[in-house]
Amino acid sequence: MKAMVLLLMLLPVGVLGDVKHSTNPENGLQGWHFSDGDIEIELVQRLPDQTRALFMQYEFSSEVVEELATSCMFQTIVRNSGASGSGQPVSVDLGEWRMQHAGNTGPIKLKEPWMASWSGEAVAPAARLVFRWGMFPTRQEFLPGDYNWGLTAYGIQPGSVFDLEVSWQEDGSPRTGNITGIVCTPDVDALQ
Amino acid sequence: MSMMKQLFSACVVLLLAGASYADQTLTPMPGNIAAPDFELQDTSGKTHRLSDYRGKPVIINFWTTWCPPCREEIPSMNRAWHLLEQDGVVMLAINMGEDEDTIFMFSADYPADFPILMDLSGEVIGDYPVKGLPTTYVVAPDGTFAYRAIGGREWDDATLLDKVRALRE
Repeated sequence: MKAMVLLLMLLPVGVLGDVKHSTNPENGLQGWHFSDGDIEIELVQRLPDQTRALFMQYEFSSEVVEELATSCMFQTIVRNSGASGSGQPVSVDLGEWRMQHAGNTGPIKLKEPWMASWSGEAVAPAARLVFRWGMFPTRQEFLPGDYNWGLTAYGIQPGSVFDLEVSWQEDGSPRTGNITGIVCTPDVDALQ
Repeated sequence: MSMMKQLFSACVVLLLAGASYADQTLTPMPGNIAAPDFELQDTSGKTHRLSDYRGKPVIINFWTTWCPPCREEIPSMNRAWHLLEQDGVVMLAINMGEDEDTIFMFSADYPADFPILMDLSGEVIGDYPVKGLPTTYVVAPDGTFAYRAIGGREWDDATLLDKVRALRE
């Protein structure tokens, strides 16, 4: 299907591991696919309107929906490809990922403190469930063939550019890699 | 349909392209750990308890309508169900947090003939070691966890079906 065909530009933008950058010709959304050993990490841009559309269906206050929509969300997929044939697990802790933006280095946004910051009036219990399960798990282990998807958030304005150091454990050993030049999708206003 | 909903639907379809991983593996779960019992209604009002199905392998799939890989695996689950039903295998898809109307609308595009149970409060999924959606467990006839699959699978793949059938007593 034409919509499924991604125009892979195969730009090596990472320092460690292999990073492929792609642009979906149908919608212009960009993606970054990182692989090293048994792990594959994919970040796909989300339009702020996509995030608004998802969360507006549930009982989030309009302020929280806007906060979520403008927090630089990426569709994120992590997979244990089993490429090495070792059969070993890989584990990911998003709390160890570090982003570099505007000269600062810091953690990415995690769902637990985010949820704790919302009052009961701002986010109904059913909406909390959607957020909890829609965001990527903070910690997860993957055996060969396992994968998960979910949203990751970086807490910077739409249109911002940042670098990301991803880290994981493979067969008990810590590993890191870098994805540089990741672009938060601009909001619709900026595209007009 | 509102503009936002049209946009959302289009985005879900596009996102499926990025989630098309499909290694057909089931991870064994050793240790004879009992799967938590539950009591949930399906979309037709029938009550299902896991303990009702003791003596049969049970596939328990946790999903939502807004989860792209969950949507992607439903057609293969439906095909698998038609292959396994006659073999005495039970398949239960537990929807997390969505009501009957939402599931009904979704079923027009993704028909499923196996029971869809509604875990409106998220209590049951909280009892299971689920980290993300979809996650599927295969429960052995004695009520213990036999396998798990994190992420979507092609459920009518012969490798998977044979592992499930092999659990029959």
